[in-house]
This record gives sequence, structure tokens and C-alpha cells, in this order.
Amino acid sequence: MSNIPEKRTIDMQVIGDWVEPNSKVLDLGCGKGELLGYLMRQKQVISTGVDLDFERITACVERGVSAYQGDMASFMAAFPEGHFDRVICSRTLHELHNPASVILEALRVGKTLTVGFVNHGFWKNRFYTLFQGKKVKNLIYPTEWDESRPANPVTIADFEAFCKRKEIKISRRVHLLGDWKSPCRLFPNLLSGYALYDLSR
Amino acid sequence: MTDEVAVEPKSGKSSNHLAPGDVGIVVPHDFVYSHPFAFKSGQIIPGFTLRYETYGALNATRDNAILICHALSGDHHCAGWHKAEDRKPGWWNNIVGPGKAVDTNKFFVVCANVIGGCQGSTGPASIDPSTQKAYGIHFPFVTIADVVRSQKLLLEHLGVSELHAIMGGSMGGMTAVQFSIEFPAFVKRVLAMATTARESAQAIAFNEVGRQAIMQDPAWNQGDYPRDGGPRVGLAIARMMAHITYLSDTSMDRKFGRRRTTLQNQEGVPALDAPFEVESYLKHQGQSFINRFDANSYLTITRALDNFDLAQGYTSLEKAVACVQSECLIVGFESDWLFPPEQNREIALALLKCGKRASYAELATDLGHDSFLLESEELYAIVRSFLGRKTNATDFAI
Repeated sequence: MSNIPEKRTIDMQVIGDWVEPNSKVLDLGCGKGELLGYLMRQKQVISTGVDLDFERITACVERGVSAYQGDMASFMAAFPEGHFDRVICSRTLHELHNPASVILEALRVGKTLTVGFVNHGFWKNRFYTLFQGKKVKNLIYPTEWDESRPANPVTIADFEAFCKRKEIKISRRVHLLGDWKSPCRLFPNLLSGYALYDLSR
Repeated sequence: MTDEVAVEPKSGKSSNHLAPGDVGIVVPHDFVYSHPFAFKSGQIIPGFTLRYETYGALNATRDNAILICHALSGDHHCAGWHKAEDRKPGWWNNIVGPGKAVDTNKFFVVCANVIGGCQGSTGPASIDPSTQKAYGIHFPFVTIADVVRSQKLLLEHLGVSELHAIMGGSMGGMTAVQFSIEFPAFVKRVLAMATTARESAQAIAFNEVGRQAIMQDPAWNQGDYPRDGGPRVGLAIARMMAHITYLSDTSMDRKFGRRRTTLQNQEGVPALDAPFEVESYLKHQGQSFINRFDANSYLTITRALDNFDLAQGYTSLEKAVACVQSECLIVGFESDWLFPPEQNREIALALLKCGKRASYAELATDLGHDSFLLESEELYAIVRSFLGRKTNATDFAI
């Protein structure tokens, strides 16, 4: 089984392919700025990240990535419609208290919204819950329930239903198998471990 | 144009003052500008002096300079000791020195006392050559832009071709941002902490109470007082009040609680009239301030602060910062209620909205406004990261 840093690289490559050179990019939950650092080098993007943690902001500053410490909703509220060419929400969605309002706000300030998330409908997660009867615990989510951040265990089926309900246009989708590398062509909600979407209004 | 200040240090070499990471004994210098200098107000003085210190060496390409800007009651002495006997080092000694976050092995660090100040730079206590008397309240109205323009002349005199960075907290942060607006191409990086884009009504209100304390003191005498006299009571009260705004409820409670200075009776119970420790602390702050600060300077600089509004003359803050070319880092402090995080965020957001390279970080300290002077590894780390990198992000490899 591949390790997490490699998996993050896959995420980066898919998003990197979608990002237009020299575009204005906002990364919600930018962490230590790995993705934006990569996009700045590969695509010369004008970028900003938002995160809640001082040390992660420091890591961004160290990388030369512009980062803003604070709440993503109030950050986005300060920007006019369509300010960013692309907003990225990679592996952040499941930790939000109010995913719907963040997605809609991101679609306001961004012309495109890229979302990447771990599919909780993946068969291994289903089996884990079915046989263990416990909160899913694996390489990606290694913590016990009592030390986990608030999590919305979103699935591909949930997400696509949400987009349909909110009339959000899905312009691109990539479903990857459990190795987060090979494309998944059949029954993605069951067989895909990681999903990426490009959305617009 | 430069005179060495008459104060020559004794060759005292205390091991304490030459500890690793400290700049050691430092000598202030005077930059004498002997051409007319016009203030934003239109008032002109025939020349001025700025007292300054430098640490580290200017490199061959003259682009490794960092200008440090002080706060209201600060001065040019930000690192090292003047004399081996000095009780305290410069005000930012914890961050400036060889190997420290502002590394004097790498950078040529400059810090000057502001124009209008009273620590050796030309200000209200200086002699007006046309009258041979102290300027007093006739000293020109000073703005932060005037502070910037006078310090730019100093940097030119020192042969600095561009600033690697400009940094400061509080008024120093205002000066740093204003500098990058006045001279966009000259400044590579701006690091502003615990600051604001415009003095708020609350901050103006506090300054006005301080000014009234000074001006209501009969010894102020419309600003006309002897060098060793003046409104000592009023200035001390102004300082005591202002000092409270630099701290926080939590930090004061931790430091002083309800402790009294003297125990009166045998049971160890303090007498009801025994002063609280916080009272004697503030009195001490007030007393030590009047020995080093000029009341008219206090009036001048607080007015410069109150008048500070980056967006003034523009339709918005974004328009004001639209010309900035520097990479910016704004640091706010959670417990700062004088220039709260929100006012620091506002600067970063305005820069980001204009597509500038700007970051905002917020430290969760409970020390209030003065948190920027805190000995904090987290703060050092972000300062070091910001100053140490190459400006071009594409040079950075994972």
C-alpha cells in the first residue's frame, strides 16, 4: 500500500493538470502550502492559501506561498464575485462545519471550484464499519473518534446528489481507485478511494 | 554629514553583554541632513538630525539592509548595550543579533529615532536656528509619511540601494507599510506587526486623554518649558494610561493580581491603604518615562499616530496599497485590543485583493499589544522564514 506523501503527490498532479498557467488560485485549507508551492513552480499561479494554524502559515511563508490565517468563510466574504480563477478545496471538505455554504461561497468568489475528497463510500470503509462496527480508522484517518476533528464522511454519491440539488455544474471528474493512482471506471462510489471534481455555476 | 555622537562607550566588556547572539556594545550615530526638509503639512525646517544605530555590515551589492521602525515611545537603540553597566539592552534585542531571527551576520540592520522624537533626533525639544530657542509646539506637524521620507534620506546616506526588508510593530508597523507605499521599488519585504491601516476612534481617544493630561499640567505652559522641567505629572499620567493599553487583563492579572506592595499587620494581612503592586508598577513606568521623554514630542508623535490613515486621499485602502511592490507579512496578536487582529487582517486583505503577495499570521498570546516584543519561538520562526527566503518563490524546491 502506498504511503500518504505519495498519495498527496497524485492529488497535486491531477489538480496541476487542471490549473491554467498564470491564473489566480485560492487554496482553502492550504496546510503547509505544498500544493500552492507546486502550482507556483509548475503553473506560475498567483496564489493565496487560507488556513487556521500559525505553524502551517509559517511553513507557507517559508515556501514563499502567500497565506492568510483565519476562517475561510470570512476570508472569502471580503472578495468580489469571480475574483479567483480557481478555488481549490483539497481534502478539506470533510472537516467543515458548513460545507454547503463554503462550496457556494467558493463558487461565488471563484470561476471554478476544484474539490478533492476521500470517498467514504469506498468498499474498504464500508467493510470496516460493517465488520468492526466502529468509526473508520486507516492510514488516511488514523485517529480515534475522540481525537478526531469534526468530520463529514462524504461519499461520491452524496456529493454528486448535492451538486444536482444545488444546480452546480460538474465540468470534470476524476475517480481514482484505492491506490489513488489508477482511474476507476466502474461503480465509483464503491470502488473509488479518491474523487476530484471541477465545478462551476 | 554624519557626526559621531559624543557619547563614547567605555570599553567595558562584560561577558553578559557579549553573549553569543548579542550585538554587544553599540555606538549611536547622528545623520545630519543640512538641506531644507518640507513636511507633509507644508512646514519647512532648515535641516534635521536623525540619531540611529546599525548592526551587521552592508554587503557589496548594498541590498541586505533591514530598517527597523520603532513604536511611539521607542528609539533608535533596538539591540545591544551602550555601556557595560546598562541594566537593559536595546528594545528588540531578543530578535536582532548574530544568528537571531533578524540575523546581523546576514543583514545590515538600521534603526533610527523618528523625526519629532526626543532621543537625539530633531524634534520639539531641539533648537530652532531661526529663534535660537526650542521649537516647542511650533515644531511642524509630523506625519508617518514624514517619518518615512526622513528615514529614506538616512538610508540613501548610508548607501543602501534597496531594503531587503522593513519591519516594526505598532507605529513601527504603520511606518513599514507607509514606506512601501511611498517608495514601492525600494522595499522588497514589509513585516508589520500589531498595527493598523488607520488609527481607530478608541486609539485616538486614549491618545487624547494622554495629551490632555500633559496640556492640563500647568508646567506645560503652552509647550514653553525648560529642558529639565515641563509637565512631569501630566506626562507620567499619560504614560501610565497608555501603558495599560499595551497590556491585557489576563497578563496584568497574572503579573500583579491583587497583591499589595507592603504587609502592614502581624497576621500578614495587607492594610487597606497599602498600594496594589499594579499601582506602584504604573507609577514606576510613569516616573522612568519622564526622565527620558519630552512632553511636546509625546504630543507630536501621538498626533502623527492619530492622523495616520492609509486610505486618506484614496477612495479605499486597496487603492492606497495598489502601488506596493513588496512581499508583505502582517502579524496580529489575539489579545491586542489597541490594534486588534481585525485591523491587522484588514491590511493583509487589502493587499491580497489587489493581487499582492501578502500573508497574515496571528499569534495566540495573552500579553496584549506589546506581544510583538514577546520572546516567542513561533514569532522568531515566522520572522526568520520571511526574511530568509529568496523573494522569487519559484526558486524554492520542496
